Amino acid sequence: MDAFKLMKELKLNYEQEVYYLPRETGLSLIEAATQDDSRISAKCRDAKVEDLWSLTSFFGYSTQTFVLAVNLLDRFLAMMRIQPKHLSCVSLSCLHLAAKVTEEECDLASGDELIRIGQCRFTASDLSRMEKIVAEKLNFKSKAVTALTFLHLYHQIALSHATDRKETLSLEQLEAQLRACLCRIAFSRAKPSVLALSLLRQEMEARRSQDMLEITHHVQRHLKIPDGELLYWCDLVAKCLSDYASPECSKPDHRKLVWIVSRRTAQSLHSSYCGAPDLPTIPEGGWGESESEDSGEDMSSGEESLSSSLGSDGDGTYFPLHLRRHLAP
Amino acid sequence: MVAHGDSCAAVHSRAMSSAATTSPSVDKVDGFSRKSVRKAKQKRSQSSSQFRSQGKPIELTPLPLLKDVPAPEQPELFLKKLQQCCTVFDFMDTLSDLKMKEYKRSTLNELVDYVTVSRGYLTEQAYPEVVKMVSYNIFRTLPPSDSNEFDPEEDEPTLEASWPHLQLVYEFFIRFLESQEFQPSIAKKYIDQKFVLQLLELFDSEDPRERDYLKTVLHRIYGKFLGLRAFIRKQINNIFLRFVYETEHFNGVAELLEILGSIINGFALPLKAEHKQFLVKVLIPLHTVRSLSLFHAQLAYCIVQFLEKDPALTEPVIRGLLKFWPKTCSQKEVMFLGELEEILDVIEPTQFVKIQEPLFKQISRCVSSPHFQVAERALYYWNNEYIMSLIEENSSVILPIMFASLYRISKEHWNPAIVALVYNVLKAFMEMNSTLFDELTATYKSDRQREKKKEKEREELWKKLEDLELKRGLRSDGIIPT
Repeated sequence: MDAFKLMKELKLNYEQEVYYLPRETGLSLIEAATQDDSRISAKCRDAKVEDLWSLTSFFGYSTQTFVLAVNLLDRFLAMMRIQPKHLSCVSLSCLHLAAKVTEEECDLASGDELIRIGQCRFTASDLSRMEKIVAEKLNFKSKAVTALTFLHLYHQIALSHATDRKETLSLEQLEAQLRACLCRIAFSRAKPSVLALSLLRQEMEARRSQDMLEITHHVQRHLKIPDGELLYWCDLVAKCLSDYASPECSKPDHRKLVWIVSRRTAQSLHSSYCGAPDLPTIPEGGWGESESEDSGEDMSSGEESLSSSLGSDGDGTYFPLHLRRHLAP
Repeated sequence: MVAHGDSCAAVHSRAMSSAATTSPSVDKVDGFSRKSVRKAKQKRSQSSSQFRSQGKPIELTPLPLLKDVPAPEQPELFLKKLQQCCTVFDFMDTLSDLKMKEYKRSTLNELVDYVTVSRGYLTEQAYPEVVKMVSYNIFRTLPPSDSNEFDPEEDEPTLEASWPHLQLVYEFFIRFLESQEFQPSIAKKYIDQKFVLQLLELFDSEDPRERDYLKTVLHRIYGKFLGLRAFIRKQINNIFLRFVYETEHFNGVAELLEILGSIINGFALPLKAEHKQFLVKVLIPLHTVRSLSLFHAQLAYCIVQFLEKDPALTEPVIRGLLKFWPKTCSQKEVMFLGELEEILDVIEPTQFVKIQEPLFKQISRCVSSPHFQVAERALYYWNNEYIMSLIEENSSVILPIMFASLYRISKEHWNPAIVALVYNVLKAFMEMNSTLFDELTATYKSDRQREKKKEKEREELWKKLEDLELKRGLRSDGIIPT
């Protein structure tokens, strides 16, 4: 697509995006909620989105599926008050819905498979019912304007404008960064166009590429995004990405994964270790064992001569005089 | 010659009370029924090498009971009874000398009690008599195995027919050794290297009860006779080396290893070079034997004890295990994985770093094994908290090694349970080091893309060649060449 068409496309999506934003009031409620059993909290939601990413990656789904699923999830949670115990079902149905419209038939995992791998407790029929509910409430047909949409557009724009071909912008890296951001509910408030632009800008600043930054300015002006708003989200993005890239690993404190092993393996796990034997320990004597006296043969290893083996244990006052003579000074 | 097996079972029911015949369950492995099914009846057979010469029946003059005799006379009576018990009876002939056999049995019983409670009975003269009596009874050439194909894992062992007497002799000897009055300085004249050598040979007995007693006897001897320790260790070395490199037959490996466990536990630090040699030259090669399952638990215990004594031995041990890693026996692989986990449970982080690369390369292979038990056992490592913490600290090294096989099996493995476990592992890795995980996913995907592209190109090339062939064929004579 040429530059002009791209810009037009951009404008179009910009106008549409507001319809795909989760309700602010709903998001505030989630963020304010404490960790109890009656409401979904921000931590809950974030953990669930991470799970969704694990599943997406496991089944080989695209980033598009993931981003769409998160979008559906946020919109639904902001609209409906649901209990935490239903969160698994909701999130998995969002993922399944997203996968159905994005992925090819052959790559699609069945609902049963999703439930089994995700170690969930509901049934496939629960899943399909929830899917219907979500689709209905959100009036979801097949598409949504998300930050990924904008990211792709920006990427294409940057490519078409780039004078320095050596600097290729990695779309994959940007997608990875977007995923990291989506795992935090704070970013669900951002307008997709702004979020994507912040990501782009972060990347440009990291590369210190002046003409690339020019492109972001160009886009910003075209969409009339205020400076304050862009800077605000840039800061948050920067912080999020630096946490993501830090070598410290984040130990999840939500539920532990279930390890189901077959009966035979479980049996061998218990029986393999015999534990301490019934026979009491026989301590090895100090040099005073005088093993060398009675055994007619040399010490078993055969390598050591008598003096050197005694030398290791027999130092100090315990070493008998008659043997000390043999040691070289 | 009396036939084995058939006649004995009924008479010696008291001693053989636990010899219930088990009906063989049809156990099919890989479609082949196990050997145990081929034997129609699983009757516990007995054997013995004590045969009576065809002479007159044995006559022993009954002696008075020790408790009925005044204290000063007891030591002499004790000696007389010991001498009487030197007479050996033929238990394969079930009908002979029944009265005398019973007399000997009750005498032995009496001696056992006497040794346990009495004081002041152990004179210097008693020692040689005791040792003589024990030697006469227990030292014998072991009867040959009933069948050549005795498989220790599957077949029922042949039991010692003279057990009613033999058990009491062993019992007596143990109490004698443990007695408060026992003096090693006197006993060492009679319990010498020759005695120990014969004792060790008995460990090849098929009768597990006998081996159990022998284990205790040898353990006590090792504990009390410092002068014999080096000799015993050397002989055990020889037995094991012969077992591993020459015969692959010895029934007492597990018992000897149990004794070694208690010895290793008591090693003084720093470890002597002799012991380290033993670990590397004997214990590690023991893992290569086909019948590993019979003594693996004891062997693993010994290994772990060594490592707890001297962590610096970790690297040679693990490298040794990796070198001998089973390639065709999945049952052994599962055992190795179990042992490895026990080692990792006690490993020091500095040692872990030294061997993590070759170790996880092997684990990566195990995880992709088509044998689901092997894969499952390997994946289960990720459920071990300590191992997880070690992996986390070194995820930048370990993740790239594991990644490719994990990702591949998540798509390709036939067993759904394995696939579910792989998810757990991948998820754990994802949370450990997200950026590295993303990188690896991206590289993996692009590698796959490239492979697919190459495949496609290759197919197209072939297709082009086919078309070319066809065109050529049609042009010349209108007949399509076959």
